[in-house]
Amino acid sequence: MLIKIRRDTLFILLVAYILIVSGRFMTYLSYASSTTEPEGVPVSGIIIKGNDIVPTESIRSNIAAAGFRQGSYIKGDTLVTSKRSIPLDEAIANAERFAKLSTIPGTSVTPIVAADVKVDKSTGIVTVNVIEDFSMAEIK
Amino acid sequence: MKTLIKFLTIFLLFNILIEGAAATLNVIVVTDPSGEDPNGFAGGSMSFAPNMFQSTFILSKEHRFTILSGGEGEAIPRLMAIVDAINILKNGGTAAEAASAASGYSGIRIMCGGVGKGAAVGGSFDAYLVTVDDNGIITVTPQSGGLAVLPPGKKGAIIHLRNTPGNPMYGTAANVRREEAIKIGKMIRDGYPATVIVAEVFKDVSINAGEKHGGGAVNVASGVSTGDMFTPANLNETGYPMDQPYAKVCPHCGWSVGYPTAENYQVCPMDGTPLKTIYAYDALRDAITVTKGTVSVSVYGSDEAGVIQTTQEIVKATVQEDGYSEEAIAKAINDAIDHGLIIGVNYVEPKDINVKPSSRAVGVYYTPLPDDRTAPPMNLPLSSGFFEVLGDIQTALGCVLLILLLFRSTLISSFRR
Repeated sequence: MLIKIRRDTLFILLVAYILIVSGRFMTYLSYASSTTEPEGVPVSGIIIKGNDIVPTESIRSNIAAAGFRQGSYIKGDTLVTSKRSIPLDEAIANAERFAKLSTIPGTSVTPIVAADVKVDKSTGIVTVNVIEDFSMAEIK
Repeated sequence: MKTLIKFLTIFLLFNILIEGAAATLNVIVVTDPSGEDPNGFAGGSMSFAPNMFQSTFILSKEHRFTILSGGEGEAIPRLMAIVDAINILKNGGTAAEAASAASGYSGIRIMCGGVGKGAAVGGSFDAYLVTVDDNGIITVTPQSGGLAVLPPGKKGAIIHLRNTPGNPMYGTAANVRREEAIKIGKMIRDGYPATVIVAEVFKDVSINAGEKHGGGAVNVASGVSTGDMFTPANLNETGYPMDQPYAKVCPHCGWSVGYPTAENYQVCPMDGTPLKTIYAYDALRDAITVTKGTVSVSVYGSDEAGVIQTTQEIVKATVQEDGYSEEAIAKAINDAIDHGLIIGVNYVEPKDINVKPSSRAVGVYYTPLPDDRTAPPMNLPLSSGFFEVLGDIQTALGCVLLILLLFRSTLISSFRR
């Protein structure tokens, strides 16, 4: 052996190690068993209606970009997302604007001419109503 | 002479490079023109080329029509032709009228069909028109360019197939196209549903003609699309090869895993049942075919893709085994949460499961967990505060011991003094 260690030194080292590991584990247990109440109403689901040809997923991802996504929650009149918190009205206006930018995947055709976003503040369910009109669709 | 050949090669290469999304397989199969059979009207697009996005197999759920597009022309006229065709079909026009919209643009192909509208292909194509009359007589006619129509109220199919330049199986298209047309005719006569026939065409064409990248398929009668199951993830990439394995599924509990991860799994980690390999064309058939066992599962409270898909699989497997029982479904979902298959949501109770056996629908209402937690709170006999204090004391003691150990000799000598 290069370093000479006395047996009781080794023993104390082992006890200290076990103590620290089990201490950390206890702290984790306390976190895992704690029941913290959520701060606001989490955005629990997005219901999309009125789309026919534009796939629901395209609209959903655009609505998510406006802040209505998993992990965001509504606190009074503000929407708190993972990036920032914005007034709910502004988030709804953004979502309506973004919904209109939804395309048929793989093209630049944006057939959604109107979108209406409603947020239920007590359940966290977001309802999106869209109107598709291909006669007004612009092709760039 | 040499320069001329060089020039020609460069010209050809350039032509291949500027080619956009060129669906080279378009197929529509009609086995029930009335639209009463939920699987009686289907279509799909596939190619060797990249960029086979959902725009190559558009589905209208409301008006029950589909538009498949392709052709060697440029992207903008193709879009204009698609939008023209959508407008015609939405305003009650027939498939023949909509498909002829393609002839206004050079090099474009529009294949479309709808319940009560028939099916048609217009523009630039090499297709076979298959009709099957009620006596079981199959007529197969080659058509290329202009307009080919399967009139409303007739059973039959239209299949267009070309080879993409650069495909190692270049030159097989003509033969495969004819074989497939005859096979489709026989399958329609023998009473197979349209969705099964389309999946069969995808299988044969991907294996025999190499035009194998999705794309995808639609069930027009029921308004079901494969969506982004097989489409490319990014621009200028190819979609999923349809002749390859797609996933492995446990036939007992519904646990599934996609490729390439699936290569490492032989048995189900939940219950040890050997896994079943699902090829992409099987997955396509299962995705668009509506069966008695089909359960429509709606998931609320979580938008994570993994959670929704896993929940759907679990509910389907449970319904097949135990029927529409709230308790059984809730138990299966809670098991999955315990196993870590579903994360980020709290346990469900039978009252969170809403079943409607008459319409074969199940709704699952999750409560998302706060602070990005993955698992629900553990149920321990002692309070979490107790564990926190205990944990902190232990950690502190451990650290003190370490420090004592470090300065051991100094400390001992200072005590002796």
